[in-house]
Amino acid sequence: MKTGFGAIPAADISADRAIPPAEVALAPTTLEEASEALRIATEQRMKVLIWGGGNHQGYGHRVHPDMVLITTSLNRIEVWEPEDLTIVAEAGARISKLEEMLARNRQTTLLPHDSPTATIGGALAAGLSSYMRFRYGPTRDRVLETKVVTGDGRIVRSGGRVVKNVTGYDIPRLMVGALGRMGLIGSVCLKLIPTPEATATVTVEDPAAALAALHRPLAVLSTPSGHSVFLWGTQAEVESQAGRLGGEIASGHAWPPDPSGRVTWSLRLPPSRLSEGLERLPDSWDYVAQQGVGITECAAEQVEIAAAEELRGWAESVGGALVLTNGPEILYERIDPWGTPPEGLEYQRKLVAGFDPYRVLGSGRLPGGI
Amino acid sequence: MAATLTGSDTGFRDDLVRLLGPERVMDSTLERHVYAKDAGVYRGNPTVVVMTENTEEVAQVVRAARRHGIPVVARGAGTGLSAGAVPEVGGVVLVTTRMNRIEEIDAENRTAWVGPGVINLDLSHATTPHGMHFAPDPSSQSACTVGGNIACNSGGPHCLSEGSTVNHILALEVVTDTGEVMVVGSGAPDPIGLDLRGIIVGSEGTLGIVTRALVKLTPNPPDVRTMGVAFPTIEEAAATVSGIIAAGLIPAALEMMDQLMMQAIENWLHAGLPVDAGALLLAEVTGVTEAVEAEAEIITRIAHENNALSVQVAATPEEREILWKSRKSAFGAVAQAAPDYYLHDTVVPRTRLVEAMRQVYEIGQRYEITMMNVFHAGDGNLHPLMAFDASEPGRLDQVKAAADELVELCVEKGGVLSGEHGIGIEKRHLMPLLFTEMDLDAQARVKEAFDAEGVFNPGKVLPEGSRCFDFGRPVPEGAWV
Repeated sequence: MKTGFGAIPAADISADRAIPPAEVALAPTTLEEASEALRIATEQRMKVLIWGGGNHQGYGHRVHPDMVLITTSLNRIEVWEPEDLTIVAEAGARISKLEEMLARNRQTTLLPHDSPTATIGGALAAGLSSYMRFRYGPTRDRVLETKVVTGDGRIVRSGGRVVKNVTGYDIPRLMVGALGRMGLIGSVCLKLIPTPEATATVTVEDPAAALAALHRPLAVLSTPSGHSVFLWGTQAEVESQAGRLGGEIASGHAWPPDPSGRVTWSLRLPPSRLSEGLERLPDSWDYVAQQGVGITECAAEQVEIAAAEELRGWAESVGGALVLTNGPEILYERIDPWGTPPEGLEYQRKLVAGFDPYRVLGSGRLPGGI
Repeated sequence: MAATLTGSDTGFRDDLVRLLGPERVMDSTLERHVYAKDAGVYRGNPTVVVMTENTEEVAQVVRAARRHGIPVVARGAGTGLSAGAVPEVGGVVLVTTRMNRIEEIDAENRTAWVGPGVINLDLSHATTPHGMHFAPDPSSQSACTVGGNIACNSGGPHCLSEGSTVNHILALEVVTDTGEVMVVGSGAPDPIGLDLRGIIVGSEGTLGIVTRALVKLTPNPPDVRTMGVAFPTIEEAAATVSGIIAAGLIPAALEMMDQLMMQAIENWLHAGLPVDAGALLLAEVTGVTEAVEAEAEIITRIAHENNALSVQVAATPEEREILWKSRKSAFGAVAQAAPDYYLHDTVVPRTRLVEAMRQVYEIGQRYEITMMNVFHAGDGNLHPLMAFDASEPGRLDQVKAAADELVELCVEKGGVLSGEHGIGIEKRHLMPLLFTEMDLDAQARVKEAFDAEGVFNPGKVLPEGSRCFDFGRPVPEGAWV
């Protein structure tokens, strides 16, 4: 195939992450180049896999691509308005780099940046939020504007660069968690949060008591080794809140490492069911549980399908889900990574059809094989 | 866009009476007149008005309307300002105010299932015993419904810190274009699949009709400081807003009013507002006592750095109440200035507030319209209010022309058409200021995915002819794909 820009052999790009074998891997440097690539893909009915830092490719049904579209050359910071608390950046930019820059003005996107290679677009596509969502809500609430390239190569801008906006349908929100099915996220405007002066981590015995004692802490996390409360704010606020807990206080945020294991699951429950969920986890699973939020990120060394199915059955019966977020390929053939699809599937299908009419963008990846 | 469904059909009326009984099917001249408009300046022409009481009735009405080719326009309390609930091309106005049950308050999960007809403030009152409230607080909150808030993705002063309605809706029960019922979203975080809940909130009744909602409740803050700060000029008040945000604070609310507005309110409410000042900034911080004390101190310091004339901190709940009452009843107070008013809603990046305000006054002078301003300064959301007399020939058209200019100036400054009122009929012709044909086409595809036949609230949000591309190329007229 001919394009006006560099077709890069996949092997040259993938140093540390395994980009799946494909006919071609492309790294567009502009949205127009991405548009051209997707027009070609649509004309030739190629299956395309969008690839950022390769950190969250475990989400969703497997895609065997003809073309890998690498976003990491779309990495410009376009506009940063510290006084407006907004930033516009291309989605292939690394979150770690962005956060480093924002920290100079004591601001943050609140995107999770535990992996140095994770990109903004990857985190948005996978629908990830950091542990601080307990205080600030999910990432979706801070995506103000998106420029996406649809499956058939249209460049579509939606939303706006202001913190409050009801002008037209909220397409930016729809892009979050869509795993690229609604288009390649080219650039985004994000709402920023100011980082306060004081931070502290307090270890506690009883997370429920901590939740009851505090007014909107940043996060309350449980792991197999204990429970911690994360605080930030003015010095006086942090000291008073920490004092109320009575546990061991350390300044700074000692976030727990991601749970370790080659198979990872995300258990999502109504917050009141979280403790019961933890009791039901197989003993061998490592986890980080977000109290008050209802999410438990789990990891296991072994592929325990029967245990996962039992846990999923219970989670779904209380209105939650157990989502496979990473694991060996074979596992995806033996268990649906999502579980029971949600209601309204035909509307999801029609929405995707409007943005990717020829099903080139990671088709089949979403729940229900959309 | 798909052809608009119009026409009246006596068979349809018979169907409605069979479904709902004669009392809840209304089509007298008076009834049709009452439901012809919302709180804005546009008027439509309803064919018939129905009051539904439950999900099944809504589904049946939608199925009957579809069968007869008649559009359905959902309506809550009718406090909207962008004509979102105005039946422009006729059709059945489906009123949800009787679907006003607060079904279940789940204190542990801080959620509640509620009907769309529940009044915003009633919900917060009902959850007060649990120490919680529903965060969206539009000025009309004592009258507007949760369903209307969902349709418009309403804001309010406190959405500066808490976000608009969409941040507070976890799941929706929706009657779809085929008259079926689906539940989207979940009480558990990050439901799998596309976020249909998020796209339906703010869609102004064009994608489906919400029949129940799972709302998120927000814990009441343990402490609060509400401050009224007077400044010689709007510029100094706006500089204070920028200073507060730049200092890393996001207060619960940052509201501003200009001198004209203060005078109108004071004449009516006698709240003791500093009417000699050029601007009043209303700032509120919430949280634990230590936090609100520290933050109030920072705000006071920044205010004095910007020549504040006075800083008044509400010492009692009553004093706080009167400050908020003056803010939220501003639009009622205007009645004494002129018989009619047009309340506008646009947004600029908050750093462009001062220059935008200057131009707002210029536009007012040029059209000889009194511009009064009370607005959400913290998020750059302007609400110029134009007081006028609609009985003067041609005056309304002048006001509408001035309104368009206001939007144009905000878009030039990097802003958007609307921050919380919605697009409706009022601003759809201005959508091309912000979006290209291809952008609008993508939005039209969203509408098409949910409602290809145009059953729900036809003609709203998007200008006619928005669905015009296929495969990145214009589609020839008439060749719908």
